[in-house]
Amino acid sequence: MQIPQDLIETAALKLKSIQSEAEFFQLRAQYLGKKSFVVTAFSKLRDLQSEEKVNAAKELNVLKNNLTKLFEISIEDILGKSDLKKLDVTLPADPFLVGSEHPITKISEKIINYFTPLNYQIFSGNEIETDFYNFEALNFPENHPARQMHDTFYLSSSGNSEYLLRTHTSNTQVHAMLEEDLPLYMLSPGRVFRCDSDTTHLPMFTQIEGLVVDEDVTFGDLKGVLIDFLENFFNEKMEVRFRPSYFPFTEPSAEVDIKFGNQGWLEILGCGMVHPNVLNGCNIDTKKFRGFAFGMGVERLAMLYYGVTDIREFYSSNLDFLNQFPS
Amino acid sequence: MKIQYSYLKNFLNTNLSQKKLCDVFTQVGFECDIEGDLIEFDITPNRGDALSLRGLEREFYAYQSKKPSQKLEKSTLKLFQDRKIINQIDGSGCGNYHLMLIKGLQKIKNLDSKKRSFIESAGIPLINPLVDLGNYVMLEIGAPMHVFDLDKLALPINVRFPQEEHNSVTVIGGDVKDVLSSSLTIQDQSGVQAIAGIIGSEASSVSSSTSSIAVEAAFFRPEVIVNQARKYGLATDASHRFERGVDPELQQTALERYLFLLDQIAEYDLVKLYYSYSHKSKEKNVKLNVARFNKFSGLSLKASKAILILKNLGFKVHSRGEKNVTFIIPSHRFDISLEEDLYEELLRSYGYDNIPISKPKAGPIVNNRQNNTLDNLRLGLVHSGFKELMHMPFVSRDSFHQLNSNNWKPAELHNPINENEPLLRGSLFRSLFAAVNSNVKKGYTSIKIFEAGNVFQKEKSSFTQSLHLSGMIYHHEPQKAWNQKELIYDFFSLKAEISKLLQTLGMQNIEFQKAISLMPFNENALDIYIGKQKIAVMGEIELSVTEKLVKKQAYGFVIYPEKISLVSINPKIVKTSKFPLSTRDINIVLDKSISYKEVEISISQAAIKHLVSFNLINTFEGKDIPKGSVSMTLRFTFQSRTKSLLESEINRSMQMTLKLLEKRLNAKIRL
Repeated sequence: MQIPQDLIETAALKLKSIQSEAEFFQLRAQYLGKKSFVVTAFSKLRDLQSEEKVNAAKELNVLKNNLTKLFEISIEDILGKSDLKKLDVTLPADPFLVGSEHPITKISEKIINYFTPLNYQIFSGNEIETDFYNFEALNFPENHPARQMHDTFYLSSSGNSEYLLRTHTSNTQVHAMLEEDLPLYMLSPGRVFRCDSDTTHLPMFTQIEGLVVDEDVTFGDLKGVLIDFLENFFNEKMEVRFRPSYFPFTEPSAEVDIKFGNQGWLEILGCGMVHPNVLNGCNIDTKKFRGFAFGMGVERLAMLYYGVTDIREFYSSNLDFLNQFPS
Repeated sequence: MKIQYSYLKNFLNTNLSQKKLCDVFTQVGFECDIEGDLIEFDITPNRGDALSLRGLEREFYAYQSKKPSQKLEKSTLKLFQDRKIINQIDGSGCGNYHLMLIKGLQKIKNLDSKKRSFIESAGIPLINPLVDLGNYVMLEIGAPMHVFDLDKLALPINVRFPQEEHNSVTVIGGDVKDVLSSSLTIQDQSGVQAIAGIIGSEASSVSSSTSSIAVEAAFFRPEVIVNQARKYGLATDASHRFERGVDPELQQTALERYLFLLDQIAEYDLVKLYYSYSHKSKEKNVKLNVARFNKFSGLSLKASKAILILKNLGFKVHSRGEKNVTFIIPSHRFDISLEEDLYEELLRSYGYDNIPISKPKAGPIVNNRQNNTLDNLRLGLVHSGFKELMHMPFVSRDSFHQLNSNNWKPAELHNPINENEPLLRGSLFRSLFAAVNSNVKKGYTSIKIFEAGNVFQKEKSSFTQSLHLSGMIYHHEPQKAWNQKELIYDFFSLKAEISKLLQTLGMQNIEFQKAISLMPFNENALDIYIGKQKIAVMGEIELSVTEKLVKKQAYGFVIYPEKISLVSINPKIVKTSKFPLSTRDINIVLDKSISYKEVEISISQAAIKHLVSFNLINTFEGKDIPKGSVSMTLRFTFQSRTKSLLESEINRSMQMTLKLLEKRLNAKIRL
């Protein structure tokens, strides 16, 4: 007797494509019903010789048992499927919008997230400020050429004090030094304003400045934290260069350059040891405490990080541009 | 300051390539850029002493721990004082004033071509050999000079602030300038001949026929020169140097150098050098404590090494004690007055990059008082599909007044970049409208955007800033899925969105109240309160205030993050009931003037037994409902903490609710 060897395989294959209960029973009838091969084969056994009969009967029994088992297992799946409406699940989702933070927010957070575990407190401060906090207390005396480094927006005011839009977030550091307990570890993120505008400068940009006032802080501490920060930020070992510069509120002052791609040295932030005039002006005992400070432009870091070439894009509300920054 | 590389290389007597030379100067604090054969030095405002070849030479040799080998070649002149030549100088603005009188000039030749090319490439035009020579000496040693035609001066000279009002002077180039009372001037007997340190008058300027000159070299105090040139719209090479400071002891040398070089290009009969000074500059001493320096820097420098470094920079040892070394500061280093200034010199020479670094230090643990409400709100919005935007805060008067009430006084800039936008924003919506407009023009049809930023207000004699978080939802076309399913966004979608945002952040007890008119919303707007504190406003945008930037119905909100404190309070958890909930629906008909809020309040205040919650599941107007009325279907949910409720108990509570609604709101039951 000829017993097909692939009967189980073809049955299993057909079972997989079944969509309804009806189809299932139809298939079961085909394999195990009265007219099925197995049942008709049993009835044909009597025509065989005894030895062949025994062997064929054994084989047919195994086949029948396996088929029965196969259909028993499948029926549980099939019964649940019976009312299913078949979907093309590859059709698109309902319309939806994807939100995202502004790249400047993201980069600011990335910077802040490095410093908060070091217990730097965050102070946002005033964008409209008096001359005292923006300049005088930071060792920019009136009629000092250093003031020309900052093109300042002044406000029309009827009062005695002269108000301006802060040119850096260092004003917040003065407030904190006057009001907070020492030691002080702080960051002042925020918007600052300079009265000039061209392809590389905007009248408003974002700064994050850091200040530490503590006993025994050294220039080596300043270098250490900044190099570590930069390597964390760019997530790679960085070639970093410190070179002398000048800011009225730090002495000594330094610019920090990094080697970035094939662009050579790029100026990335400014820093220095807090000028004793600034500490004295904030009633800080300079025999006991020293400080260091640093500041960076968030747009500049964002441009490097994302490869943005035109700073104005950040403030353009261009969704084509913003859609490229995933949240 | 631009310097020709070839000229500088010769002057410094070095073979370093242009790039290497730039690297050296950058290392010691003078950032430079290469422009063809030029090197552009970015000299910081404290280092006026470096604005010359000599200044750069000092730094270059100190960096190599060497002394410059070349001596400056110059003539030697005797000094005279004569009040018929220099009468009076105002000591508050002028430290010294020198005038070298040269008569009988003839056979004047041009400077040699190298010097001429050096001057021109520094950005200074060639004018006349006598003037060019003055400019050359300024570039060479750093002392600005001015050359008068002596025959056109009515001596003696007075250096003073103008006492007469309405002085005007025609300056070199032909412009007429009104002389400010704050400007120090050089006056002869006929009037103002120069604005000190900035520019000379046309009348006394040299020309090709000049045969006698008065060459001026003076020390004008930086504080009287600074900002003056700008006020005249004149920024000259002289004013740039005087503003930053000039060596107060260099003037005689400068004139002697001028004369030495003049000998090479002209013949003359007579020279005499006159001077006047208000007070002699004092020797300045600064103490250095090397141990303190080492603590400051993290280095361990020996005193002998520190002395060597400072000597190379021109500092001299005045005295040496057990702990301190006192240095005499050279006259050109007027930027040095504190011990920390010496630290900078030491570190600069030692090389910032050679200072060892320490591991980052952490500050003391502080109570986290930071209010991170804004960050949380921002993330909530982002998760609801909003894009964050940022904009400049400058706005026009028109758009300010469209979006702010008359009580909101604008903060106005005295010197705006754009005259049409002189005010600081009082609302973030102007930028959001513009953003909707520009993106719709680009083809976007569904937009959800927000911005966080300060808005400003003038208050009496000062200003206030407050943080706003404003957002907009705009669908230019009705949103439809591919299967024609319509996704309608309306006022109540907005209300759901804002409720979800605030409640997810833990604000459970928010109260909505019909808003009192506030731009940019129309009447369909709500104020949102926590207790008595208004924390937000939301509603439909009044299209007439959008300056036609927004064409179709838009929805917006403004949240005041500073008014929200997200300090989490641990909630008291109560044991939940294990008995089933039962619900009952009723239909009531109400006069349309009664708001749903009144229904809510009436039921909430009544303490109905077993009532856990209720909500509105349907409203209906039209067929079978009297005109001016509305039918509401309310669903009430009851539960007991101690037992399964009986039908009769639920009915009693329902009866009580109905009676209450009838009595308070004149509600009719609809069967």
